This record gives sequence, structure tokens and C-alpha cells, in this order.
Amino acid sequence: MIDILTAIFIISSTAAGLAAILVVAERFFADYGECLITINNDEKRTVKGGGSLLESLTSEKIFIPSACGGRGTCGYCKCKVLKGGGILLPTEEPYLSAEEKKNNMRLSCQIKIREDIDIEIPEELLAVKEYKVICKKIVDLTYDMKQFIFSLQEPAKISYTPGQYVQLFAPKYDGNTEEVYRAYSISSDPADNTIVELIIRLVPNGICTTYCFKHLKEGDQALLNGPYGDFRLTDTNAKIIFIAGGSGIAPIKCMLHHMQNITCLREAVFYFGVNSEKDLCMVDTMRAFEKTLPKFKFVPVMSRPEHPEKWKGETGLVTEAVLRNEKNADQSEAYLCGSPGMIDASIVVLKKLGMKESNIFYDKFS
Amino acid sequence: MKESPQQKKLEDILRYCPLVSGGFMGEDLRPVKEIIDTDTHTVEQLGYTNEQIAERMEYIRNEGLKGLGSVVKLNNGLEVRIDDNRGLLPSPWPDDPHRSSKTITFVLDTDTGNELRWSDLSIHLIRAHGFYQGHGSPFRLNPSELISVIFK
Ligand SMILES: Cc1cc2nc3c(=O)[nH]c(=O)nc-3n(C[C@H](O)[C@H](O)[C@H](O)COP(=O)(O)OP(=O)(O)OC[C@H]3O[C@@H](n4cnc5c(N)ncnc54)[C@H](O)[C@@H]3O)c2cc1C
Ligand code: FES
Repeated sequence: MIDILTAIFIISSTAAGLAAILVVAERFFADYGECLITINNDEKRTVKGGGSLLESLTSEKIFIPSACGGRGTCGYCKCKVLKGGGILLPTEEPYLSAEEKKNNMRLSCQIKIREDIDIEIPEELLAVKEYKVICKKIVDLTYDMKQFIFSLQEPAKISYTPGQYVQLFAPKYDGNTEEVYRAYSISSDPADNTIVELIIRLVPNGICTTYCFKHLKEGDQALLNGPYGDFRLTDTNAKIIFIAGGSGIAPIKCMLHHMQNITCLREAVFYFGVNSEKDLCMVDTMRAFEKTLPKFKFVPVMSRPEHPEKWKGETGLVTEAVLRNEKNADQSEAYLCGSPGMIDASIVVLKKLGMKESNIFYDKFS
Repeated sequence: MKESPQQKKLEDILRYCPLVSGGFMGEDLRPVKEIIDTDTHTVEQLGYTNEQIAERMEYIRNEGLKGLGSVVKLNNGLEVRIDDNRGLLPSPWPDDPHRSSKTITFVLDTDTGNELRWSDLSIHLIRAHGFYQGHGSPFRLNPSELISVIFK
């Protein structure tokens, strides 16, 4: 018995040792020379072989969403590989649906470039840039929400569509050994293309929000990349129903700035759901929009006011307020931002009011 | 007994885990296996299984979700609020492909004033690995305290 165990131990140790040598040898000695990445059958980039596709694209200033720093744990860095990516790896399997596998979707952080490779990425990712920024101002909005205003250093200007988001880089800090990127919707006025404003809610023990709330200070340098996402206003004249909760107010605020900038006359109502008085924020900003956008109405909805005798607004769940106030939504559009649960519940209510599912827009990321 | 490479990898990941701020072990110096064995023993002595606990936590989470972020009162004196954050969090266990949403459940026992919180990942770690986390981890759940609140 002991002989068998010893033999197994020797064989597995030798195999593990050989595998380790191979990994080290590949890193230091394998030379794949220069490889060509062809993007969308058009753009061509020559890179040094041996690195991951994600790293190589980043070094070419082409940014694919990635929340885990290329460790194969977030599943955000998908792209279509038409030629040259090697076989699908076990590390990619859990993140790809059967449909995605059939369509040659891969995790770009897991693919090693060993030969020329053809890939397809959404066209708008080619416009994504990395921005060196300075944290200009931090404003407390509620006990767990802050507004961060970043002024752009390099490049000095950004162009984005209201509703889109950027990724904020969180460096290592005391208690966190990992560098990560996290997505945050842009809340700024797009008329000022020299700043990016974000509204961030603290997540207990969250890596990036702990960095933002405890370590990031006014005057500090930071890194952003973007813009990403296809959450945006249509150019119809349909009435708009905005529904948001918590930090979901961010992209809606950006859209309202935009509507103001283009003197949009669309009828719009914004149902903003909060728990109690201590969660309510940006009321003055919203009231100011009511003055400049003649057909816009702000409806804060409080589910459990601490001082019900003083609270004159809507109460209950945000979805209940929508049901009470909207009679027929079959000609309207809805823009939703908030928790996945709030989005799901809102969709049910809007469909009950006759809204077509194709007229309901939200961040599909969650 | 000497740690196997797999155990060493797990130990390192949970202690210095890059997935969450501060890792999963707190100041607990015991090996992961010892933490799991001790907690599982407590759970069994109290007449429950990790599966039953995870199921009950999931039930409370689902009741709380109906509040869309506001407080929901359950019949047994518990108040539940959910922070339903966007995004997914992978399991730290090597070779475990599970991903949990970043939802956090806050529970207040209005009779005793006891407060608990857990994330969806905590539910998965209890169900799949019997792991309630190390002492000092901000998401450590003491099994007997957890049982006294969720099964009251
Ligand atoms: C398209 C998009 C737009 C977004 N826009 C915004 C926005 O405008 N504003 C905003 O605030 N957010 C936004 N988010 C969410 C944001 O990207 C982050 O997911 C969020 O801020 C949390 O990031 P974090 O790094 O702080 O937390 P993470 O580190 O990613 O989260 C860790 C999770 O694990 C839990 N956890 C921590 N430690 C433990 C432990 N030991 N055991 C069990 N669980 C634990 C935490 O409580 C938390 O739930 C957006 C997300 C997407 C996808
Ligand atoms: S970057 Fe996270 S899985 Fe690839």
C-alpha cells in the first residue's frame, strides 16, 4: 500500500514539476515572434506573441471591458475569435453560454497569442480610451453615496453618449492586494467634456467602493477608461418614464442634462425610489431640471418615511407609485437604472400598463 | 500532516483573496479545514445541516427582495433589507465555477436587536463548502447566532 502511495506521489510530483518547468520555459524562452491581430476584418495591429489577447489589445490602446484584471473571474472580456485563438479552455467554459460557444465567443484574457488572430469586437470599443484624471471634488450625497468629479488630464476631453458608463481603476491599498476595474455610469453634463462625474454607493467590503470612500482624496490621480454601453435615449418623441433607485440616478441625471442641452420637449417623468429621508439626494438638481425642461416632472417615492407627518410626496414601492400615476403606457418608453430586482419589478408593472417590451431600456449588464 | 498543494492554494486564496476587500479569513490563524469542521460540528449539534441553513438564508433573501431596497417585515419579528448591487462575484474556491450576484441581505431581529448581514456569496460558501469564514472577517457568520436568528 505504502509503495503504491509513494509511486503515486513520485509520479504526480514529477508531472507537477514538469508542468511548472514548461510554464516557466514558455514564459522565458518561447518566442512566437510578431503576430498580427485583425480586428473586424479591417483594423490590423502587430504585437509581440506570447501575451494574452486582452493584454495585447490593451497595449495597443484597445480596451475590452474587464473587471478582474484578466484573471478569468469576471467573464466581461468576451470577444468573437474567427481565426487563431486555439481551443476553448476549461477556464473559459463557465462564462460562455452554448450559444456563445457556437458563435466562437471567447474570453480575451485567457487566449494566448501564438499566431495571427482574427477577432470581432463591437465597433464602439475602438473608440474607448484610457483617461488620466485628477479627483477634483468629492461630495457627500447621503450616508452611503458620494459624487466624485474627475477632471481629465490626458486626453483632456471625452466624448460619450448619455447613459454610457466608464470603468474606474482601483489600485492596491492597505487590505486589498488586487487591482480592479469597476463600471460606473457617467452622471455629468455632457456639455462639459473636460470632466467625468460619477455617483457611487458604498458596498460593504467592496474593493473599489472601499477605495473610493476610504482612500481616494481630492487632488489624487486616478485612471478611467470608456465609454462603454448601449443604454441611451432613442430619438423618438415618445413620453419617457425614468425609474431609478439609489446610484441608478447617475445615468438619468446625465440624460436630463442632455435633454436640457438640446432643448428637448419630450414629456418625461422620473420616479426615484428611496427607502427613507436619509437616502434622498439631488432633489435641488431635479427641481432645477423641472424649471428648464417644461414637460419634466420629478417624483421621489419613499417606501418608509421616518417622519410620515412631514413627507408630502409619494410613498410605497417605486413600482406602486408608477402604477398609481401612469394610466396607459402603450405609447411611452421607459429607461430603468438600479438594482436587478428593481429592474425586473418595473418591467412587470410597465408591461401591465401596456408598454411594449421593446420600449423598455436598461443596463443589460447585470 | 503536511498541506497538499491544493489545500495550500485554497488557504492562500481565502486568506489574501483578491476577490473581496480583506479576504475571507479575518485574523483567524486556523487552517480552513479546521474552521469548516468546527462550524459544521456546531451546526450538526444544533440539529441542522448547511443545506437547510443556506435554504433558509435564501428564503429570507427572497422575501427581502420584494421590498426593492426598502425594509420588509417578516412575521417572526425579523426585518430584512436588501442591497441588490449590480455585478457578479465568482466563488474563491479553485475549480468552483459558481458566480453569485453581489446582493447583500441585512437582517434585524427586532426582539433582540441582533443584526446580521450576508452576501449571496456567503450563502453559496455555506451550501457548497460549509464555510462560514474566519473570525474577524466582516462577513463571518457565527453558526449558532445565525441559526438563532433565521430559525426563530
Ligand atoms: C454597467 C454598470 C454600471 C454601474 N454603475 C454604477 C453606478 O453608477 N454607481 C454605483 O455605485 N455602482 C455602479 N455599478 C456597480 C459597480 O460596478 C460595482 O459593482 C459596485 O460599486 C461594487 O464594486 P466593489 O468593487 O466595491 O465591490 P466588489 O468588491 O465587486 O463586491 C464584492 C461583493 O462581495 C461582498 N463581500 C465582500 N466581502 C465578502 C466576504 N468576505 N464574504 C462574502 N461576501 C463578501 C460585498 O459585500 C459585495 O457584495 C455599475 C455596474 C455596472 C455593471
Ligand atoms: S478580464 Fe475578467 S474574465 Fe477576462
